[in-house]
Amino acid sequence: MDTKFKKIVLDHSDTIVDMWMDEIGTLKLENNASDISHELFERTNREFVNVIFTSIKNKDSTKMVEAFSEKLINLGWPLSYITDGLQIFRRVTIDYILSQSHQVDSVFFSDVLKSVDHWVEPIIRQLVNDYSGSWEHIVSLQQVALKELSAPLIPVIENITIMPLIGTVDTERAKLIIDNLLEGVIKHHSEVVLIDITGVPVVDTMVAHHIIQAAEAVRLVGATCILVGIRPEIAQTIVNLGIDLDKFPTKSSLQKGFSAALGMTNRQIADLSTKEKDTERLIHLLGKE
Amino acid sequence: MSMNQPCVDIHKEWDIVAARQLARDIAKQTGFGTVDQARIATAASEIARNIFLYAKTGTICFNVIESIERKGISLSAFDNGPGIQDIGRAMGDGYSTSGGLGAGLPGVKRLMDEFDVQSEMGKGTEIRAVKWLR
Amino acid sequence: MRIPILKLHNYLLVSIQVELDDNTAIQFQEDLLNKIHKTEALGVVIDLTSVEMIDSFIAKVLGDVVAMSDLMGAKVVLTGIQPAVAITLIDLGIHMQNVPTALDLEQGLVKLHQELGE
Repeated sequence: MDTKFKKIVLDHSDTIVDMWMDEIGTLKLENNASDISHELFERTNREFVNVIFTSIKNKDSTKMVEAFSEKLINLGWPLSYITDGLQIFRRVTIDYILSQSHQVDSVFFSDVLKSVDHWVEPIIRQLVNDYSGSWEHIVSLQQVALKELSAPLIPVIENITIMPLIGTVDTERAKLIIDNLLEGVIKHHSEVVLIDITGVPVVDTMVAHHIIQAAEAVRLVGATCILVGIRPEIAQTIVNLGIDLDKFPTKSSLQKGFSAALGMTNRQIADLSTKEKDTERLIHLLGKE
Repeated sequence: MSMNQPCVDIHKEWDIVAARQLARDIAKQTGFGTVDQARIATAASEIARNIFLYAKTGTICFNVIESIERKGISLSAFDNGPGIQDIGRAMGDGYSTSGGLGAGLPGVKRLMDEFDVQSEMGKGTEIRAVKWLR
Repeated sequence: MRIPILKLHNYLLVSIQVELDDNTAIQFQEDLLNKIHKTEALGVVIDLTSVEMIDSFIAKVLGDVVAMSDLMGAKVVLTGIQPAVAITLIDLGIHMQNVPTALDLEQGLVKLHQELGE
């Protein structure tokens, strides 16, 4: 039966294509119909119907469908265009086969439906898969980009956390920084947070303002903020802008900031005594006696 | 826009609390995070207090704005109070006629994304503020 | 509505767990000052962990309470201010510069201990 229907469809492909083209023409792309030229629309439709016929003819047409879906994704055409197009094809083809048959009973009708569905379904499945694959890809790319942009908070030692800032700080990002900073302070129970601005290329009024706001918010939740990585030009900007940083300790380097933070939490770095030092101390002690 | 938008009439001091609670609930339902919920609730509180202090009575209404590209919450307040004499000055930081911190209106502007105040002496004040979902 | 104020040795402990309306805030201000006077407390910890919102009025009342207690010889530390509340206060332009803060009740007590040099 299936081969018989296939023969009808393939023999009269021109008629079916014309019927299909008429119907899809009325559908028009709703979202961005205005900026798609008539020629492109017509051409893509031809290609679409061509893809459908080729995949009916020979089973293994995955590559071609893939190429077509890729093209549509690049054009930014909606998935609904494909599903609608295939629905129309299904309707038109069933109509045509039925009109070409003399005896139509329920068994025959159901056979036609089965055959046509069998042709259309794999194409729909593949196109939808390709589309959602591309969406997932975009979303994951964006998530990575977002994470790269966001501000990481690193708990280095109990009660001390470091947030290294890299890149330009704009208003949107400043909000993210403050949110991350405060949530992190609570989560890690940090008494001291070091904000390292070594990697911030320009510190203008706005950036300074954002950083100070972050530091003040940190103070309100009950922790202390040390601003580290203050380069000479940044020190100049801060003073020239008349920004009062008296409330917040600042240090030129992360290293100095870290020892200050240890001091604030009543700790210090101690060298584990090496053999040499032990001997030195021993000699020293002996000398005393 | 919803047909029966939620509103709070401000008559007594406790209505300020009602306004901020409603603001927080609606912000939460709209999908705002905790920080923005606090911002919206605080903005509602500031505006409600302004009404209570200066106009005695008024109304604050909330609306969820939903368009194709973005979603947000709008807050509109009306009163028939004495009006604001000098909006420019009232919007400047540190201005207060009530002995408060003077953070009121300019503070609200910073808490929200859009802010508009219109006032006519002897007729009343109208404030509209919007916060967009990021 | 009254906010309970607990005494612990030389300290007073307050945990605010209700939605603060203006009257409650002002009543609290009065109650705390009276309690400081009565107990001659040296330090006060006000824990705000459960407070979801502080607007300019409540911020002013809290700031005032700190300054007033200071005048009466009692150091006040605010603890547990939530990130959302802190960010909102900064947005409002309220920095509470002269108000000592700490992460939680425990840290607040440690801070008082240090400041009072005990």
